[in-house]
Amino acid sequence: MIEIEHLTKRYGTTTVVDDVSFEVDEGSLTVVVGTSGAGKSTLLRMINRLVEPSAGRVLIDGEDTRTIPEEELRHRIGYVIQGYGLFPHRNVAANIATVPRLLGWDRKKIAQRVDELLDLFQLDPAEFAQKFPHELSGGQQQRVGVARALAARPSLLLMDEPFGALDAVIRAKAQDDLLAIQRRLGTTIVLVTHDMNEAFHLGDHIAVMDQARLLQHATPAELLMHPADDFVERLVGTAERPFRLISLATVQDALEAGEAAGEPVAASDNLHDALARLIWTGREALPVADAKGAIVGRISVGGILQHGRPHP
Amino acid sequence: MTLPSVVRLLGLLLLVAFITMPQAFAFIFEPLITRGAPAIYNQGSLLALTLQHLRTVFLATLASTALAVSLGIFVTRPSGAEFLPLSRSLVNIGQTFPPIAVLAIAVPLVGFGEKPTFIALFLYGLLPIFENTLTGLTQVPAQAIEAARGMGMNAWQRLSQVELPLAFPVILAGIRLSVIISLGTATIGSTVAAKGLGEVIIAGLQSNNIAFVLQGGLVVALLAVLIHDGLGLVERAAARRLGRAPDEVS
Amino acid sequence: MSSATSRTSTLGVAPPPRPTLSFDHLGCVIAIIIGIALFAAPFATYRATRIASGEARFLIEALPIAMGTVIVVVSLGVAVVAVLVRDPFGRLGSAVIGLAVLLPALGLSAGFLTPADNTFARVSPSLGFWLLTLSFSLLAIDALARLRLGPYGRLVALAVGVSALALLLFSGIWDSLSILKEYHTRADTFWREARQHLLLAFGSMAAACIIGIPLGIAAYRLKTLRTALLQGLGIVQTIPSIALFGLLMAPLGAIAASVPLAAALGIKGIGAAPAFIALFLYALFPIVANTIAGLSQVPAAAVDAARGMGMSARQQLVEIEMPLAFPVILAGIRIVLVQNLGLATVAALIGGGGFGTFVFQGIGQTAIDLVLLGAIPTVALSFASSIFLDALVDLAKGAHA
Repeated sequence: MIEIEHLTKRYGTTTVVDDVSFEVDEGSLTVVVGTSGAGKSTLLRMINRLVEPSAGRVLIDGEDTRTIPEEELRHRIGYVIQGYGLFPHRNVAANIATVPRLLGWDRKKIAQRVDELLDLFQLDPAEFAQKFPHELSGGQQQRVGVARALAARPSLLLMDEPFGALDAVIRAKAQDDLLAIQRRLGTTIVLVTHDMNEAFHLGDHIAVMDQARLLQHATPAELLMHPADDFVERLVGTAERPFRLISLATVQDALEAGEAAGEPVAASDNLHDALARLIWTGREALPVADAKGAIVGRISVGGILQHGRPHP
Repeated sequence: MTLPSVVRLLGLLLLVAFITMPQAFAFIFEPLITRGAPAIYNQGSLLALTLQHLRTVFLATLASTALAVSLGIFVTRPSGAEFLPLSRSLVNIGQTFPPIAVLAIAVPLVGFGEKPTFIALFLYGLLPIFENTLTGLTQVPAQAIEAARGMGMNAWQRLSQVELPLAFPVILAGIRLSVIISLGTATIGSTVAAKGLGEVIIAGLQSNNIAFVLQGGLVVALLAVLIHDGLGLVERAAARRLGRAPDEVS
Repeated sequence: MSSATSRTSTLGVAPPPRPTLSFDHLGCVIAIIIGIALFAAPFATYRATRIASGEARFLIEALPIAMGTVIVVVSLGVAVVAVLVRDPFGRLGSAVIGLAVLLPALGLSAGFLTPADNTFARVSPSLGFWLLTLSFSLLAIDALARLRLGPYGRLVALAVGVSALALLLFSGIWDSLSILKEYHTRADTFWREARQHLLLAFGSMAAACIIGIPLGIAAYRLKTLRTALLQGLGIVQTIPSIALFGLLMAPLGAIAASVPLAAALGIKGIGAAPAFIALFLYALFPIVANTIAGLSQVPAAAVDAARGMGMSARQQLVEIEMPLAFPVILAGIRIVLVQNLGLATVAALIGGGGFGTFVFQGIGQTAIDLVLLGAIPTVALSFASSIFLDALVDLAKGAHA
């Protein structure tokens, strides 16, 4: 668990992060979102002490980060930045091996770990291990950047606009891949972005920052239904609210007993996608299938719409 | 074998053949001389002069490289940052000094011989290496440095594992430029009695023997062109090793 | 700005403001040099005759006591400013005041040390003077670098410097210095060699422009010509100057011997002709390469638009491509000029004349003043022309920016 307590950063008379406190649960993904200049990158960089806090502290599993030597702390925390900062003079394998090598792992263990990560990120080791960063596409570079950050099995991963340099189609795929990998490895992630859709898509919790201050730290649904103030409400997007809400719920949540005709939708789909199917097919309801393909009930337009307003 | 490597090899063979057995080439130079003057330089061994010439250039370049790279590293660290604007200006000003002026001013201070030549080569050789070290180190992508810090590399690890390797081809280009300038300045060093290939040319000028001047000029020119070319190959190989397209290195 | 701070600022973090009162590292170095110069190094060298060995004269002996005190006070003042003042204008001002006191004082010192009616004695500046000049200049250069003057500012600074130097030279205040005594005994030769030096440097540059720019345009269009030309000229660049002079002497000597007209025109194996041709050959590479580079960076859209408007190839070149390539070509001319002014010094070795004549004569006679009489004008010329042309390049760039 990460506890951020009263973190503050001042440069001279300007305060870029003002008394921010929140907690990040083990294995969860927290998105810090806000306009540019809100102080979210500085907040992130105070967690691995790339920026020294002016006041406040960060506890990782109860341990005050100030008591851990800077470099040792960073070896234990994965860090991914926009543009990734891959080392142009090292091939993919050597880039991924950076922190294990700093930690003095033996060569066999490093090679094994590199192959393991390349497999995990769907990069064929035989093809990619020896390639240099400039020979990779943007999406491949992004995957290598995340693989490198995960190389030494950090329990915490910090990501600063990790999808910012990708085009829309690749970005959506990269976001889904990240969620899948996080679920598999159970890594705790703090991710900074300015993109609200990304925040709702990825975050278990969302921390909204503006002008150095933390305005609200809550689950996505909380944020939609009870925005702390006007700024959060505007940032969330009033017109978007119902659609974001139904995106957060799954078909399972709105499952009704009964039958319907047509191609079944999966119980794990989100309601936004299910509604799209209903509109497109012109039906009032569709059957719902579970993971094995067995029909377990139905979903209706009315049922979905109930999830699109507060207090369902 | 490609055409450039054939030409390279032929040039090298010609150079070695000429400095080891110059008399075999006497027939080429005989038409240039007047009444009984020697056609081939006879006041010393061309081979010894060539080696002496290369030794001076090598030692001076080694010294320049050590100091220039250290200075370049120093002014790009936070502790040396206050010296950065001045050092940039000094390099620009220093390059307007002709090498001969440096050589000439060194003579009254340290006397004739190897010393003033070495000082001139050393001082003038600093400039291109320092300039390229600065360029190389300041061109390292900021994101690579940020990533290195984020992964817990300390200042020394960042310098040795990220910054210097990335700056290496550019520094190498500076060394190549420095070596070429030094080869020329060392030739002029013979006017202040430094041992080297300039002796052949100066002797020719003094005794009005065009054959000496021509063979001295040929040996120096061939040496310079071959070394320039050879260092260029090293540079491209280094750039390739760093996984960059060769044309990215100028 | 340092690379370290620019790195952090690109990542969105403002560097902490400097504390208002702290020691400047460079200033400390300058202050130490000033201290050594004032108290541990001789100010001037006295020689009974032109070639006698020198005797050191420290500041207290070298100047009347009042003037000596002024120098010490002013120099220490500059040292304090260097250490404590961060404002570039303040630093520049103090450095200029330091130089304005120091440089005339050198002339006074020479008059003071030379016994009356003694025409043999020589007084030249010594380590202490050079160190003071160095430290004041370092302070001024650092301040100018931090001020980041625009092209007009640099031209004004150059004009001020040149006028101050001219004032010192023509006021007669430096006339007792050994280097000016050297000059006065050979004023005629000096100006003749100066003319020859400029003729060699500027003449070969002009020739290289006349030939090199059209050659560059042709090479830009023809890829095969480009590669061959750049490689050939690149090889010429790597040949040391004295070797190239030597290589040209033989063929030119042969031409002079067999073609009477050439000999009548003054083309000989030895002298200015091989030097001129060598400088010309060296100058071609930067001119051709920069012409090609300049034309290559002309935006394709601009040329396309010009074609779309029905301009002929000639009109495109004259109205669009050349004006846009001009700053880069000018930068090539700047490289050539500085290079030529330096290389022309070597021409004296093969009888080509120029300031090198004094340098090599001085080396032969171990007369440092004579060496300096050749070296200082060369350095001053290269320095002034590089500042002048750099400013012109910036102005040319600005015209299209």
